[in-house]
Amino acid sequence: MASDAALALPPAPEPMRPRVLLVGTYLAAGGAFMAIMGLVGLYLSARSHALAAGTAWLPDGGQIPLTPSNLAFGTMLLSAITVTWAVDAVGKNDRAMAYLALGMTLLFGLSVVNLTVFLYKVSGIGVDTPMGLLFYVVTGAHLVMMIAGMVYVLAMTLRVLAGDYRGPNDREGVVAAAVFWYATVAAHAVIWLAIYITK
Amino acid sequence: MAVIDTAPETVAAASEAPLGERVEPTGFAAVLGTGDHKVIGRLYVGTALVLGAVVAALGLLFSFEGIATDSVSIFANDTVVQFWTLMRLGGVFLVAFPLTIGVAMIVVPLQVGARAIAFPRAAAASYWAFLVGAGLFVASYAINGGPGGGRTEGVNLWIASFGLIVVAILLAAVCLATTVFALRPTGLTMDRVPLYAWSVAVAAVMWILTLPVLIGMLALMYVDFNHAGTSFGDNTVMFGQLDWVLRNPQIYVVAVPVLGFAADVLATTAKARIAPRAVAQGAIGAFAIFGFGAFLAGASAHDHEAWVVILLALIAVVPVLAIVGLAGDLFRRGSFALNPAVVSAVAALLILLLTTAAGALGALMTSDTYGTIYDLGVSNGAVLASLIASLGGITWWATKVGRQQAAKGPALIAPLALLVGAAAVVLPDLISGLAGDGQELYASWEGGIEGLNIIVVIGMVLVILGLLASLAAYLPLLRTPDEPADADPWEGQSLEWLAPSPPPFTNFDEELPVVTSAEPLVDLREEK
Repeated sequence: MASDAALALPPAPEPMRPRVLLVGTYLAAGGAFMAIMGLVGLYLSARSHALAAGTAWLPDGGQIPLTPSNLAFGTMLLSAITVTWAVDAVGKNDRAMAYLALGMTLLFGLSVVNLTVFLYKVSGIGVDTPMGLLFYVVTGAHLVMMIAGMVYVLAMTLRVLAGDYRGPNDREGVVAAAVFWYATVAAHAVIWLAIYITK
Repeated sequence: MAVIDTAPETVAAASEAPLGERVEPTGFAAVLGTGDHKVIGRLYVGTALVLGAVVAALGLLFSFEGIATDSVSIFANDTVVQFWTLMRLGGVFLVAFPLTIGVAMIVVPLQVGARAIAFPRAAAASYWAFLVGAGLFVASYAINGGPGGGRTEGVNLWIASFGLIVVAILLAAVCLATTVFALRPTGLTMDRVPLYAWSVAVAAVMWILTLPVLIGMLALMYVDFNHAGTSFGDNTVMFGQLDWVLRNPQIYVVAVPVLGFAADVLATTAKARIAPRAVAQGAIGAFAIFGFGAFLAGASAHDHEAWVVILLALIAVVPVLAIVGLAGDLFRRGSFALNPAVVSAVAALLILLLTTAAGALGALMTSDTYGTIYDLGVSNGAVLASLIASLGGITWWATKVGRQQAAKGPALIAPLALLVGAAAVVLPDLISGLAGDGQELYASWEGGIEGLNIIVVIGMVLVILGLLASLAAYLPLLRTPDEPADADPWEGQSLEWLAPSPPPFTNFDEELPVVTSAEPLVDLREEK
């Protein structure tokens, strides 16, 4: 009787691999995000003290133009969509869409690097002032985080190209890269508001 | 379903598959190219002990100078800041962190039944990065660098090497936390994770959330020092920008594993299941959370008087008291046996209790104690509690760390000497701070009240004797015994005691049982 019941059961699902990479990425992304948040906190604190003391925060001749900073933020938001698209495409094992989405994410990342460098060129802010120092270190640290995220996405793109990751239960690396990228986008959102908008 | 919830059901595939395929490296490859968490952990422990000797020697010299600052002048006024910062930062980042990481790296994967640590190459990279960073960190002082240093290259090297050390610690933290979260065997749910592994995991998460802020500040200092020197990079105030990592609440994050170690050792020795277990896990988790001090990065003395800072310091005592209470309950319900690890656990708990109580009192009197030697007392207390627990951990898990049990005599003396020594180091500084005597950092080092500083010297001597006794106790760990060491010398409760002593490359010779409680080995014994 018992053996009949056992025969009637569907086969056990394939055991999943432990999501080591995903858990590790969550932790690493959390750490990277906290580094940026700590720096943003220092920026806000220094600005608050300067304004309370009645001194100008933005140095003479310095400016943070809104056009490139808003474009950069918009591009980051778009990249969050494309990386989600990549995760979805890999889950459906739609290789063409996955390549396209991962490629666009990388392209958007490069665009934001370009926009940030352009922002540096036109801002006219020197590093020898408290504002300039914090501005460059905060945004520079985010650039480093973003480049790390792009390397991560690129590595996963190469793995997808090599034939890895082929379904909803086999896409851990792409999901992990997406998680890191989301943290990068979130950090950029805070920088955009705290530094580019409220200056 | 949460990400970390999948592991117990799925880990079998990863933990069982490589059993027959992995080959243990030999020779130099076994050390230089190893991904074996036990080898990496031993390297961390050995390096931390060597660096500990340097830091302890510096501490002894500073305490000597404090006896009679008028007649004794060991450190010149222009170098005292450098030696001081080397001692203070070295105690935390060159000794307490790596020693904790070393013991954890050996024990935690075994405790959670993993065949290997998560990201073994990253774990190895963390050690080598730490070694290089620590070497350059000390070297930067040798070339007149560090806070207060007069050579630009030396200061740059100090910042870079300090950053490398912190990155190494973070890498190790990611490996340790991921091992606990994602590499548990079937049935070992998070609420059943051994308390030491749990404490390491929550501590590692707190390190990951707070220490990146330190890296950010170091980056800020580097740029400022080389370009503007406006505030963060001013060489004379550099140390002041970083001292939040040495104060409470942040300093408590290095001592979180003390609670897990004490709970594990005392429960095993008492031969009783810790209950209520959720309280123990909650207390350890709460202590880690109360140690979140990154929001005080760059804060002023005024900021330390904020109610939230005072509240954090006050409630940090509660989790320690909870673990002390649970330990007392264990001995009420269970048996008691005197062994070196029990003495270490009790000693570390007592010093941590003293530290957190002092931290609470200091927070209430911030206007009197801030920037005084009182802060040094609290910081030293947390570091010494961590040191006692880590050394006790090596004794407790000696057959997993080395080849056989530690020598019982010196192993018993060591925690006693460390306990008395730690109290003698910490208490005079607290009293001096409350009496308003002794700035924490001053060009002409004065220490605290001169009469009390004699006690500090005695305390430092006892601490060094405790370290030497520990080393003597560990000598047998290096020798191959005539007969294989007992896999489970303490009638343990958790999975590490199923591993042979010393554990093989893949940790366990046999398949692990399905875990059905927090004390799987007790279940196995009861089934028999």
